[in-house]
Amino acid sequence: MKPLRQDLVAGWWRTFAVQGSWNYRTMIGGGMAFAMLPLLRRIYAGDPVRFSEAVRRHMGAFNAHPYLAGMAVGALARAELDGETPERIERFRSALRGPLGTIGDRLVWATWRPACLLVAIAAFGMGFSPIGSVVLFLATYNAGHIAIRVWGFLRGWREGLGVSRALHERWLNAVPKALAPVILLLLGLDAVLLSRRVLDTVAWDGLFAGLTLVAAFVSLMAFRWPRRTGRIAIALVIAIPLVWLGIAILN
Amino acid sequence: MPLGEIPLGTTTWLILVALGGVLAVDAVSWPQVMISRPLVSATVGGWVLGNASAGFLVGALLELMSLRHPPFGAARYPDTGPAGLVAGCSYAAVGTASLGSLVAAILVGWAVGWIGSVSVQLRRRGNERLLRPEAELAARPELLERRQKAAVRLDAARGALLTAGFLVPAMLAAAWVVDQPESMLATVWGAAMLVTALAAAAGAGGRTSSFGLGGWPLLFAGAAIGGLIVGIFG
Repeated sequence: MKPLRQDLVAGWWRTFAVQGSWNYRTMIGGGMAFAMLPLLRRIYAGDPVRFSEAVRRHMGAFNAHPYLAGMAVGALARAELDGETPERIERFRSALRGPLGTIGDRLVWATWRPACLLVAIAAFGMGFSPIGSVVLFLATYNAGHIAIRVWGFLRGWREGLGVSRALHERWLNAVPKALAPVILLLLGLDAVLLSRRVLDTVAWDGLFAGLTLVAAFVSLMAFRWPRRTGRIAIALVIAIPLVWLGIAILN
Repeated sequence: MPLGEIPLGTTTWLILVALGGVLAVDAVSWPQVMISRPLVSATVGGWVLGNASAGFLVGALLELMSLRHPPFGAARYPDTGPAGLVAGCSYAAVGTASLGSLVAAILVGWAVGWIGSVSVQLRRRGNERLLRPEAELAARPELLERRQKAAVRLDAARGALLTAGFLVPAMLAAAWVVDQPESMLATVWGAAMLVTALAAAAGAGGRTSSFGLGGWPLLFAGAAIGGLIVGIFG
């Protein structure tokens, strides 16, 4: 039986908890089955054996970016509705894992989220209120977040096994490419604006320019050698209070 | 600052512990709307204690440091929800006139974040047991639903416990630091902390190239110079 609109809404809503039972054996497999239950119940209404088989199939190991997992939920439910064989569904499921992870990581974790965070920090640095800046971040970020979830689920449900067409859409590649330079501009700007706010807090105006020059130099080093410079900087932060404590004890 | 003057009554403590649970669960389990980011959680912590600006500042610095640890695949990353909350509270509670207390708050936040990360690994191993035996769960899907919801609730409990365990010690640590005389070394410590956060942010920028998105160091440097001009003349 074809799922009703309310089943689709329930399945989509459950994708928000798709990582709820994340584990090292099946990763989001349990969450996938949990999200698909409203759809599978309708598709296999009156056939408990096939229903149980389908639930077990979707509990197997699976991983994807959480915002794009809905695309897999929609596509797999459509494949079940279309009566595809379990072997074909299993192959399709395996084939989806890699692309949904990579595309989501690049689009959301590597670019959309940092861009929204850095815009909020820049807003604060330029005089926005802290609460206003946080609201700005949450509103901007989640506009994109919800849009991706809705788009992914609907495309998956409409296209079924042909959903790979959606994964080749130009915007999925164009958005991260466009955001990368914006992120770097914002990182540079935020670094200085934030230093200014820190130093304002402790009335430390005189050293601002000097410290910023040091910070700029270290930042450029870190840009080129992220791991090495980061380690040296962290070692410095940990070593200084130890020296401080040592001097205090000796005195 | 005398330790007795820390503005944390039982009701506020309970509110913050409950918030710690909500913020922790958002990071992975549900609904991932990013209230778990340190920028948000630290600001909320500061706001609860009456100084949202202090919370935001701590949160922004922790955010710059966290940018280097994106949650790709099964990678380990700091549990920033409770960590940001604890850090934001500890800086907001002791006042903002000490660079040392800012650094202490950030270091405590960073430590809580990584301790939280270990607790996330333990929860994930616990989830493996929750999802067994598979055949029974497939035959009784209502049991699967209960287990999935139980896993989310356990994650919230983990976050609340983490906050309960570290909130007061973190605030006491910040209060102790603020009581120490500001020395040149404390100032250098603050500067080193700031540089560390900026280095981490720059490192995150450098890593964008690993996604085939280009290095663009000149954009970063240009924007930093622009920010410097705004900072000096703005």
